Amino acid sequence: MSFIRAIGWIVWKDLVSELRSRESFSSMLFFALAVILIFSFSFSMDREAIKELIAGVIWVAFGFTGIIGLGKSFTVEMHNDCLEALQISPASKGAIYLGKLLANLLFILCVEVMLLPLFMIFFNLELLEKLPVLLVIMIGGTLGLSALGTLFSALTVQIRAREVMLPILLLPMAVPVFIGAVEATRGLLSGQPFDLYRPWIDLLLVFDVIFTIVSFWVIDFVLDD
Amino acid sequence: MSTFMLWLRKYQGWFGAAGGLLTATGLYLGLVASPPDYYQGEVVRIMYVHVPFAQSSLLAYTALFGASAWYLWKRDPLIDHVAHAAAGIGVFFTSAALVTGSIWAKPTWNTWWTWDPRLVSFTVLLLILIGYLMLRMFIDERERQARFAAILAIVGGIDLPIVKFSVEWWRTLHQPLSVSPRGVSYAGDMLTPLLIMAIGISLLFTYMLMVRTQLLYLRQLLDAKKGRLLSQAHL
Repeated sequence: MSFIRAIGWIVWKDLVSELRSRESFSSMLFFALAVILIFSFSFSMDREAIKELIAGVIWVAFGFTGIIGLGKSFTVEMHNDCLEALQISPASKGAIYLGKLLANLLFILCVEVMLLPLFMIFFNLELLEKLPVLLVIMIGGTLGLSALGTLFSALTVQIRAREVMLPILLLPMAVPVFIGAVEATRGLLSGQPFDLYRPWIDLLLVFDVIFTIVSFWVIDFVLDD
Repeated sequence: MSTFMLWLRKYQGWFGAAGGLLTATGLYLGLVASPPDYYQGEVVRIMYVHVPFAQSSLLAYTALFGASAWYLWKRDPLIDHVAHAAAGIGVFFTSAALVTGSIWAKPTWNTWWTWDPRLVSFTVLLLILIGYLMLRMFIDERERQARFAAILAIVGGIDLPIVKFSVEWWRTLHQPLSVSPRGVSYAGDMLTPLLIMAIGISLLFTYMLMVRTQLLYLRQLLDAKKGRLLSQAHL
């Protein structure tokens, strides 16, 4: 089985099972809804103050939501020993990782896009004309988070207290991704010229590449049993 | 007992004695004999413990990283004890470096905490080390515990320079330097005690690492013996 085709099959498998159960999608969406609602209570501020804080609010919500989805990504494989089936399947460990990463990226991005109208409503934002650049930043940030998150999800699913350990391991490591994503978003939403915050988007993509390569390289040791 | 552990036991005393002697000399020179700093006054004296602590935390992570890479390569359980011990001592040194740094920063920069690249990367370092120890707590099977912990240490080791770099970048791009860390240059009277302290604390760290490695090894041996006795009693 060729490498690319194996990745495709993993993504397809995750998509089909998600479309049937909608487990991870709905839990992410409703969790995020609750988070945004709490934020809108906590920061009832004027328009100027919102501009300073909203980038952080958006990425905290995205990060927490992402962790829910990333955790689900491998816990669903625990039913009926699916993880072991994956491990003994002819697909290489790297292909399993990349397939899972792509599926996670897809699910989390879907939820994030659905959250954007909520941010517009609750925080009085005008996002529509900024949407193309915002999408690029969202892909960059979510990819970085998922690259590390998929690795740690594969790791924590095999231990006790997995729901606790995933955020404890992931959040400190993802500090650079959060800095890059928040700064780029802040630049975009506060109406800075593109050249001023563009370095952050470039940097985010560099982080994505590094974290994906490192995770791809060590995944063999994580799924090796 | 394995030859490696016997070797550790044989030579640990030298490291402990040399480290203790140098640290005592360095403390005397730094806290009593050296003059107070022209700008910072007596506050500067905390640097004589802060800098060695910070250096030793980096030394601890280097040991952890090296031992983890070695473990993944050779799968030697003895090396895993070294990594485990380095992480535990690393938590102590990193916390000490952060606390002494904060105490120094309050009178000097007039704040306990600022978005300084070193501060942030040391905080992330502490969080990674604590995460590492917690991860080990939650895995019972020895081989898997060692393997997963080693992976975490290696990913963290690659992550830490990136954290430092991204915060450095953040400050130069985004914030004007609100609190400027005035370049502290150490001259003459201050450099000697600092150097002696740095070497002394590093030796003490090595001594602690040797002792703790044996402790973890013996504890595991004890657990194995207990398990054997229990299974015999069961029969």
